Amino acid sequence: MTRSRAVFLTALAAIVIASAGGVASAWSAPFGEPHPATNLSASGLSGWIFAEQAAFYRSLSGFIRASKEDGAAMWGLFGISFLYGVFHAVGPGHGKAVISSYLVANEETWRRGVVMSFASAGIQSLVAIVVVAIAAVLLGATAKTIGLTVHLVEIVSYGLVILIGLRLFYVKGRGFLLACRELAWISAPALAVTSGRGSKILPLLTPRLGAMTVRGGQCLVNGCAGHEHGFHCHDDHHESAWGHAHGPDPAELAGAGGWRRGLSAVVAVGLRPCSGAIIVLIFALTQDLFWTGVGATLIMGLGTAVTVAAIATLAMSARQIASRVAEARAGFGMLTLRAIEVGAAALIVTFGTLLLAGYMASEQLWMFTG
Amino acid sequence: MIKRTCCCCAILLLLLSVNRAEAHPHVWVTFHSEVLYAADGSVTGVRHAWTFDDMFSAYALQGISHAKKGQYTREELAPLAQTNVDSLKEYDYFTYARADGKKLKFTEPVDYWLEYKNPSLILHFTLPLKAPAAAKAMQIEVYDPSIFVDFAFAKDKPVSLSGAPPQCLATYDLPHQPTAAEQARLSQLDATPLDPSSTYGEIFANKILVKCP
Repeated sequence: MTRSRAVFLTALAAIVIASAGGVASAWSAPFGEPHPATNLSASGLSGWIFAEQAAFYRSLSGFIRASKEDGAAMWGLFGISFLYGVFHAVGPGHGKAVISSYLVANEETWRRGVVMSFASAGIQSLVAIVVVAIAAVLLGATAKTIGLTVHLVEIVSYGLVILIGLRLFYVKGRGFLLACRELAWISAPALAVTSGRGSKILPLLTPRLGAMTVRGGQCLVNGCAGHEHGFHCHDDHHESAWGHAHGPDPAELAGAGGWRRGLSAVVAVGLRPCSGAIIVLIFALTQDLFWTGVGATLIMGLGTAVTVAAIATLAMSARQIASRVAEARAGFGMLTLRAIEVGAAALIVTFGTLLLAGYMASEQLWMFTG
Repeated sequence: MIKRTCCCCAILLLLLSVNRAEAHPHVWVTFHSEVLYAADGSVTGVRHAWTFDDMFSAYALQGISHAKKGQYTREELAPLAQTNVDSLKEYDYFTYARADGKKLKFTEPVDYWLEYKNPSLILHFTLPLKAPAAAKAMQIEVYDPSIFVDFAFAKDKPVSLSGAPPQCLATYDLPHQPTAAEQARLSQLDATPLDPSSTYGEIFANKILVKCP
């Protein structure tokens, strides 16, 4: 178990370093980033993905034109749209980082993760379609107006991401502090007792002695952490007690409160439309093929969803391994788990802030259209 | 073992997702550039002609009123041209110049207009240098450091000189996979580096080099 824990701690460290690297490279972007047309910098897999998605995107206009002459070319367009969606989602800006972090922080079920991925991608496609349908088709707005609309929606979206991250950070931060206290209590029950409010360890025979009795009586089960609404332990001996999913219990998942929980994250992520989809839709519109463009956009969303779901699944698998480790080792393992949750929540805040501040690459179009 | 593999996969994907803060370009520009010279042999500016890809052209033309379907006059496109040059200011017009290694500054563009040649929009504009520069080696780079716009030299005669002294010679340096002939040119440039102070990143830019020995 020690080895597994080491592996996971390494993983956590890698993620933190990676995100720090991402932040650093985003900051150095104006002059530090090399030209995208080269594959020298974007080595290996990421370079290949980069080149592929650009190629798919560029071929879309040809397929749309071809669809005008030959209806069968539409299937080619849809196929390329799907592949573009799959590859494009590997890049940033589609909220998979936010969704994954959210799932990790909340210990959600696999099923919920997949549904959330598909829902956010679906909302994203729909927002692009609605923006173009209203602004371009109905109002005949200019690219400048459309760009401004997208920009406003983006700001709302990033703001929501930050809020969700902050809320999670608060909840998970408390969980972490509680786990800290628990650890202190478990490791030295005869010597010290934790104070009710701070994480200070108080010597025995202080007026706070009663606290030990209360907590000791309620939380003797290994792997059971404090609940945010007070301490209690579940009979099923699961390792988290956050009032969230306890396991793939279909009745619970289907409940109104069940799906509503992830909705805020889904909406926050899905609100921001993909610039690529908007351009494709407007191009299709000029070719009098708006509905074909709508179809292509929806299929792009489907491709995006597949990638996001895959990444979310991996993030959750890593989290499950951590849970198993924590289950076996209540004290330090649990603390690690809580730390991961806090880290994931902090990542959401970081992503949101960077996106809002414009440090992290999103897809800007206003460099030509105002 | 399975756990470890799983962990590694997760790390790999997370690395992929957070490490490279990049999207792919949504705007493709192929460009012609003309380096402008004064009578005394100094460089006064650059005249650009940027052709946008068909999808972005359609996007930029969205909502622009025009009398004839499928046709846009220079007058109809004038407000959009104004918007273009106004918003490009923030990005330094994606044009970076050096004279004998020293950075040069441009002033606001003049003589700008848009032209529509179905299916593409072409932006013409002249960037005057703040102060005319006389240099043995002039280097002009055109690229977007933040990858949203992909710049590439036009296929035919992408670089020309206007009013340059007869001994001046213009070459250009492709960031894309070079052909055998271009590779040869590249290797020659490597043998005689024009700008020793240039940083690593700049080799990825579309480089225009003018030598006036």
